[in-house]
Amino acid sequence: MSSKEILTLQFGHYANFIGTHWWNIQELGFDYHSTQPSEIDHEVLFREGLNPKGQITFTPRLLLVDLKGSLKTLPEEGDLYGTNSAPSPSSVNWDENKVEFQEKQCEPKNDFQKDLNNANIEAIVVQNKQYNLEKNVQVWSDYLYSRFHPRTVNIVNEFKHCNEENPFESYTLGTSLWKSDFFNDEFTDKIRNYIEECDQLQGFHVLTDCTNGFSGLSSACLEHVRDEFDRKSVLVLPVIPSYFPDNDFKTPAEQVHSIMSDSARVINMLLSFNSYREHSNLFVPLCVSQDGWRQPGIPKQFYHTEYQYKLPYHSSAILAAALETITLKYRLKNSHFNLPDICADLSAHGRQIAAGSLCFPFSFNEDASFIDCLDQWEGPLYTSITPRVSIGNKRLMQHLVLRGVPESRLKRAGDKAGKQKDMAAYKCNTIREMLEFYLSCSTYATASNVTTMEKGVTVKNPFPDLFDKSIGINGNVTATQRLENTGVESIPVLAGVHSGNEIGEMIESLYDEARKLKIARFHQFAVERDEYEESLNDLLFLRDNYEDTYLV
Amino acid sequence: MAISLLNPKAEVARAAQALAVNISAAKGIQEVMKTNLGPKGTMKMLVSGAGDIKITKDGNVLLHEMQIQHPTASLIARASTAQDDMTGDGTTSTVLLIGELLKQADIYIAEGLHPRLLTEGFDKAKGKALEVLEKIRIPIEINKECLLDVCRTSLRTKVHHKLADVLTEVCVEAILAVKPENNKPVDLHMIELMQMQHKTETDTSLVKGLVLDHGSRHPDMPKRLENCYILTCNVSLEYEKSEVNSGFFYKTAEERDKMVLAEREFIDQRVKKVLELKRKVCTGTNKTFVVINQKGIDPISLDQLAKEGIIALRRAKRRNMERLALACGGVAMNSFDDLTESCLGYAGVVYEHVLGENKFTFVENCKNPQSVTILMKGPNKHSLQQIKDAIRDGLRAINNAIEDKAVIPGAGAFEIAANKELLEWKDSVKGKTRLGVIAYAEALLVVPKTLAVNSGFDVQETIVKLQEESRTNPEPIGLDLTSGEAVNPKDAGIFDNYVVKKQIINSCSVIASNLLLVDEIMRAGMVSLKG
Repeated sequence: MSSKEILTLQFGHYANFIGTHWWNIQELGFDYHSTQPSEIDHEVLFREGLNPKGQITFTPRLLLVDLKGSLKTLPEEGDLYGTNSAPSPSSVNWDENKVEFQEKQCEPKNDFQKDLNNANIEAIVVQNKQYNLEKNVQVWSDYLYSRFHPRTVNIVNEFKHCNEENPFESYTLGTSLWKSDFFNDEFTDKIRNYIEECDQLQGFHVLTDCTNGFSGLSSACLEHVRDEFDRKSVLVLPVIPSYFPDNDFKTPAEQVHSIMSDSARVINMLLSFNSYREHSNLFVPLCVSQDGWRQPGIPKQFYHTEYQYKLPYHSSAILAAALETITLKYRLKNSHFNLPDICADLSAHGRQIAAGSLCFPFSFNEDASFIDCLDQWEGPLYTSITPRVSIGNKRLMQHLVLRGVPESRLKRAGDKAGKQKDMAAYKCNTIREMLEFYLSCSTYATASNVTTMEKGVTVKNPFPDLFDKSIGINGNVTATQRLENTGVESIPVLAGVHSGNEIGEMIESLYDEARKLKIARFHQFAVERDEYEESLNDLLFLRDNYEDTYLV
Repeated sequence: MAISLLNPKAEVARAAQALAVNISAAKGIQEVMKTNLGPKGTMKMLVSGAGDIKITKDGNVLLHEMQIQHPTASLIARASTAQDDMTGDGTTSTVLLIGELLKQADIYIAEGLHPRLLTEGFDKAKGKALEVLEKIRIPIEINKECLLDVCRTSLRTKVHHKLADVLTEVCVEAILAVKPENNKPVDLHMIELMQMQHKTETDTSLVKGLVLDHGSRHPDMPKRLENCYILTCNVSLEYEKSEVNSGFFYKTAEERDKMVLAEREFIDQRVKKVLELKRKVCTGTNKTFVVINQKGIDPISLDQLAKEGIIALRRAKRRNMERLALACGGVAMNSFDDLTESCLGYAGVVYEHVLGENKFTFVENCKNPQSVTILMKGPNKHSLQQIKDAIRDGLRAINNAIEDKAVIPGAGAFEIAANKELLEWKDSVKGKTRLGVIAYAEALLVVPKTLAVNSGFDVQETIVKLQEESRTNPEPIGLDLTSGEAVNPKDAGIFDNYVVKKQIINSCSVIASNLLLVDEIMRAGMVSLKG
């Protein structure tokens, strides 16, 4: 049977940061040499095409939107289908003396992009060289490894990236932008073109900023998708950056600005969450920090990992690893799940928000078995990556994916088993069985479903090296320290989506924050008080769905 | 004063200073746009830092590219955008005229005239100018020649004249094809604009039928059919589970596939209905059958249709449903419950054209197509975009002429005539407001002046020549851009839209007056006014 395709839509700069890592991870994970067929069905998220030179291309089935000036060195059309000749006035069909040539200064490419485009440098070199991308990355295209189809990149001409004068900061700016000719006509056509190619579309991924104008744009787009492709599943992933530069204020005026921006972000989230609730099948808000709103709060800690939460390049890498892992549920060749099933499982009784979780990396000693690892594990297996949710262990519906732990490391064979034999879990014969068993023992009234895969997440360049020195090249904890110049190649990751009553508390906290704001003071929204109150009430209804009168 | 009490950081510019800010902004934006005006204006090629190219001459497109920050300039730019939304032309003229009105006003204000009196003069002059416009307008019969002239005048200011001539022909033919008989308004949406990235711009052509940007998705389907019945529908032929089951439900992928097959029955019924109809109307004749569906068609359904020799297209554009019904006849079906022959449309030929990974399906030789397609061709994306912008404006120009049932002689003729009449009429205006009228009359000349500059002629000489000619000749007088001599635009076939000029006169006078009356600009934000 052919693949069940998914179309990915990315709205906003931070969403594109995550998306870029995500596509990078996938493409770097392509194995061109192995005789084993890949466990992952790449055609779910990618498409095969043909460029004008007759070469076969394999590009993400993706549409992304960003503001003008956010691309830096990336041409809108990409270079795969290139007809890009050097621009010169003589190529213009007009009286030559009457052509005015305005060329903006060519943006310099960073070393990583230069090496990627240099045919003389082998891929393996690029993957191991140190680029110090922490310092060089300003926009997501700086570390983009994937190449895109000319359709993919869409630029909003009305608003400029990082522009204080005319910021794209409110939900309503986004919804009215959707009504422009470009989005109403060209963008919807591009969606249709992608869908028309698909034989068995399972649905959409919508990865979107939810703190700025893109919250409105994605909401309006979602409504269109719902209208046009009514029965397809839509998984929305609203993302919140872990740091906003305006939160570091120095003067009182900047402080006022920061407070107003925080409030505007809360309103954006309120309004967009309501429309995601209405038009999506499931949505999972994601943020690597604790609180998400008013301010992102303290960044979460992950084992053996150090990251700079102020760098979107770092925080987005972590979220991308989570998305790459959890979506395997319906992207594996032997999987019998698809997107609608997952959405249906987790959104029963109108619980449309679910929480994401991550254990990154899921590393344990290289000589240990999985059974020992679980036996000695302290605390919860995973950390929530949805703001203001701490995933509990009662009455949950959860889907988990563990990748990068091969079956051979499950337990030791009978004659060498030693103490392992005494553990109840020793009877389990697969990683999946054992993890499900573990979960059933550590939770109450919970339905857990586990999917496993042998291969870990590829974390070669341009993925940042976030791991401490005790993590070896293959992602295991080693006794000997990793050498200074060697990077980790792949790591095991556990990720999940969960639905439980803890999410109700998160909704309530957003409701409490949003209720305190007087909408009339935020003129950029042009939302009437009644409308705002209605949004608040709708959110409260959603919160009620998480009341614990419901039993699994 | 109050604002400075409330917010001591607010910046305030007052009276003369405020006016100076406005006037300099208006002059600035005028300076940038000036070179674009007319068929001899400069084409601009903009290249971004990453190498993206944009080629344009259109005032509105340029204004959008410029990212204007200055509040006054952006107000003028908005007026220009509004002009584009309303009429599709005259955007550069709007900017020029507003700038010139302020420039002229500046001279008098420097001499101590109160802006209020000037604006009163502007208002009176505006009324008079509109009268002149009424007088000079030429009622037209809606025929091809006339529309060609209007469209050509507009397009030659936007693209190379060879290309403009090709596009003019295409646009006029397109409008005439979709124009309803009984003087009902033309629906421009019934003209599909389709881009094909190959060949050159001048290969752009009109297809009397529809071109769809997708093809069949089954290897065995015919690539070309003649004498076709067209079934247009919005019915899903794609299996989707009626109820979403939990993923926990199935043990294996095979089990799942089995379920799917069992539940397909429903979709098969629908396909069968199509097949039955096809057999009924086509068996024994040389007719063939094409299905165009707005919803999806899955591989199994495609296979069944292909076996019958049907071309089936899925995921057609929503708007094409309406267009198909107009081009081929028939009705767009929302269910297959009562399919009859009368629901079907007809096309002489349907064929597929493959271009790399893109497929195009042509539905042609329709009986009486009331929806047509302009097939735009060009070697790259920016040239296609340029053609698209031009065609949109061309279509709007034709449509304006049809709605106005009149045109205005072009080549600056209106401005020359209005200038003359205003200067004659000014004596009847009492008091200092007369100065406003004079300023207005002078400002109107910016259009012929700029045309002259852009064509490389001496401004004063040209204007004097034209004014002289118009004093002696009752016919409208415009500027011949190749010779620099006076010419009758009627003879040269240069016509502008009535509504465009009317809109320009109205909006420019109002905006210029508003800007003149501003006596305080304040800014309470964080970013400085300076710079």
